[in-house]
Amino acid sequence: MNGYGGNILRVDLSTGKITRQPTPADMAKNYLGGRGFGAYFLFTEVPAKADPLGLENKLIISSGPLSGLMVPGAGKCDFTTKSPLTGGYASASLGGHFTAEMKYAGIDSLILEGISPKPVYLFIDDEQVELRDASAMWGKGAITLEKELKEQFGEEFQIAVIGPGGENGVAFAHINHDFGRQAGRGGVGTVMGAKKVKAIVLRGTKQIPVADVQLYRESSMALFKACKEADMLKEWQRYGTTIVTSWCDEVGALPTRNFSAGSFEDGKTLYGPVMREQIVITDKGCFGCPSPCGKYSKVGRYKSHVEGPEYETIGMLGSNLGISDIQDVAQANLLCDELGIDTISTGSVIGWAMECYEKGILTKEDTGGLELKFGNVPATFTLIEKIARREGLGKLLSQGVKKAAQQVGKGSEKFAIHVKGMEQSAYATHYATAMLLAYMTCDVGAHHNRAWAITYDLQVGRERVAEDKVARVIWLQNFRPMFDVLGACRLQWVELGIDRNLYVPVLEAITGVHRTWEDLEKIGERIWNLNRLYWKREIEDFDRSWDLPSPRFYQEPPKTGVTAGKITNYEDVQTLLDMYYEQRGWSHEGLPTNDTLARLDLAALAN
Amino acid sequence: MPATLRPYGLLKEYVAQQSEVSVASGRTIRETLLELGIPVDIVALVTVNDVPQSKDYLLQDGDTVRLLAVIGGG
Repeated sequence: MNGYGGNILRVDLSTGKITRQPTPADMAKNYLGGRGFGAYFLFTEVPAKADPLGLENKLIISSGPLSGLMVPGAGKCDFTTKSPLTGGYASASLGGHFTAEMKYAGIDSLILEGISPKPVYLFIDDEQVELRDASAMWGKGAITLEKELKEQFGEEFQIAVIGPGGENGVAFAHINHDFGRQAGRGGVGTVMGAKKVKAIVLRGTKQIPVADVQLYRESSMALFKACKEADMLKEWQRYGTTIVTSWCDEVGALPTRNFSAGSFEDGKTLYGPVMREQIVITDKGCFGCPSPCGKYSKVGRYKSHVEGPEYETIGMLGSNLGISDIQDVAQANLLCDELGIDTISTGSVIGWAMECYEKGILTKEDTGGLELKFGNVPATFTLIEKIARREGLGKLLSQGVKKAAQQVGKGSEKFAIHVKGMEQSAYATHYATAMLLAYMTCDVGAHHNRAWAITYDLQVGRERVAEDKVARVIWLQNFRPMFDVLGACRLQWVELGIDRNLYVPVLEAITGVHRTWEDLEKIGERIWNLNRLYWKREIEDFDRSWDLPSPRFYQEPPKTGVTAGKITNYEDVQTLLDMYYEQRGWSHEGLPTNDTLARLDLAALAN
Repeated sequence: MPATLRPYGLLKEYVAQQSEVSVASGRTIRETLLELGIPVDIVALVTVNDVPQSKDYLLQDGDTVRLLAVIGGG
């Protein structure tokens, strides 16, 4: 099949059996690849109500039809599983070079099944696929181990690793690759650790068949040209995601002290240009990227190096914790990466714990003597370690903020900032109704990567509750995640503003199938609805209440900052949800109607 | 010589798609944006002669200002 690696590789970790099957053509037609394959396999192969850490869950790792080919940012790999954090659908996207190598090894999806009796790593070198003993590696830091494996096997091999966090069962453990890239959210690393897989070591040398080489060359060159000529290229490459730090602070979207406000009075020392000057030593890109946005930093105070911090980490481990020095944030970032835990969820649980401490809900006895006030850097570093090792207070926090708050009670549930059990990422949404709705309805929980709608809020009126805002969120949800399906980065469209129609001829040249963005958004809509069915199937009492935001965003106007005194009221939250369900073709309880399922060719799967 | 403003991306919609706008010096970026009808809140980054500046920067003669919106974010 043109554009594909050609195989689904299954590894049964319980028995050691390895199976290779041709990638089904109709699955490629209807679900395309990447996140689409992940959603399909999760729904059809992981039994209902499976234990996320048990034998029946699977970790589905998928490249897409653009992965590894001559397309800007063609380095995205999807990791899909049943989430140990939320109990629902998890999908995390990994950059770097892993997905390209998978394609060259002839793999479209790699599916890890069962549980290994002892720690193993998976070795793949084209046709050679082996499970090897990882007992000597178990316990090692993710970055440390990747370096050792690169030295052992050579630079050609691509490595994906879990840290101690994944081994220990932290609910939001991530998977590390290329030293500073992660499949970050939802506990995909936790599942890999539960299966006792410490690392994947991968090399591929095959070619990928392409339908029309001439059109491929011309159309991919047009895409690269558009990137190189983009107005924003210089600043995007210089600052990467940190381009938004100052802007978020100015518009009241920078999470501050556990999302109690949207601007941080000490925020200036976290801004992109300050970071660039103080710690950044080079830019770093993923596979085939013309606009490398990663930042590699030397953190003088701690004599360390880290890839990052990205905006999300700056928000969640910086302003969200009342920490204002970028070097401290960078060091916290490094600790999380080495230990293998998601910086966003980690920042959120620590922010919640700090607020509990300041309110007297948690005492020094609970914190093991830590003075857990906002701004306490040493306490933050100590707590990150404790979370990864699941010790003391870290054990409570390692379950995620929803469960931690349920266990502690005393009103702390009201400031556990999550949706569906996933901690909200770094945009404060007291006063931005489209972005609020985006977080409420994101299919993995409160993550920003599907519909990033906050500029739209600012353009059309942040407090407006209107059909056009809902339509915008839905369009972004059907469209943006298609990049994760195609296996390429969306940031060239998102940040450089290139014309998305440039992808259409490239995709056709590669796969031999003509698809417009309308066709692609229909696939996006299909996957979206399939994931909604998955939540309904897996969660006992799943209903519209699972789409509600944290009460902080409809009960507690910030006392300080740009959005002081502003809040969305609860009636508007419900109105947004009603409008959303109607536009999606869902019932009042938020489930796809039969007509919607039929229109999206999901009726058979749903029954 | 006045200052030159270069709005990029969606910001051009607010200045009839002009790539370059001549503006008076002696005023802040913020005041200038307000006068041109460019919503201050959607301008994510301002650089003056390639150096990032806040919106309170006072424009000097001959300054070249790049204005960037956050198009898609995240």
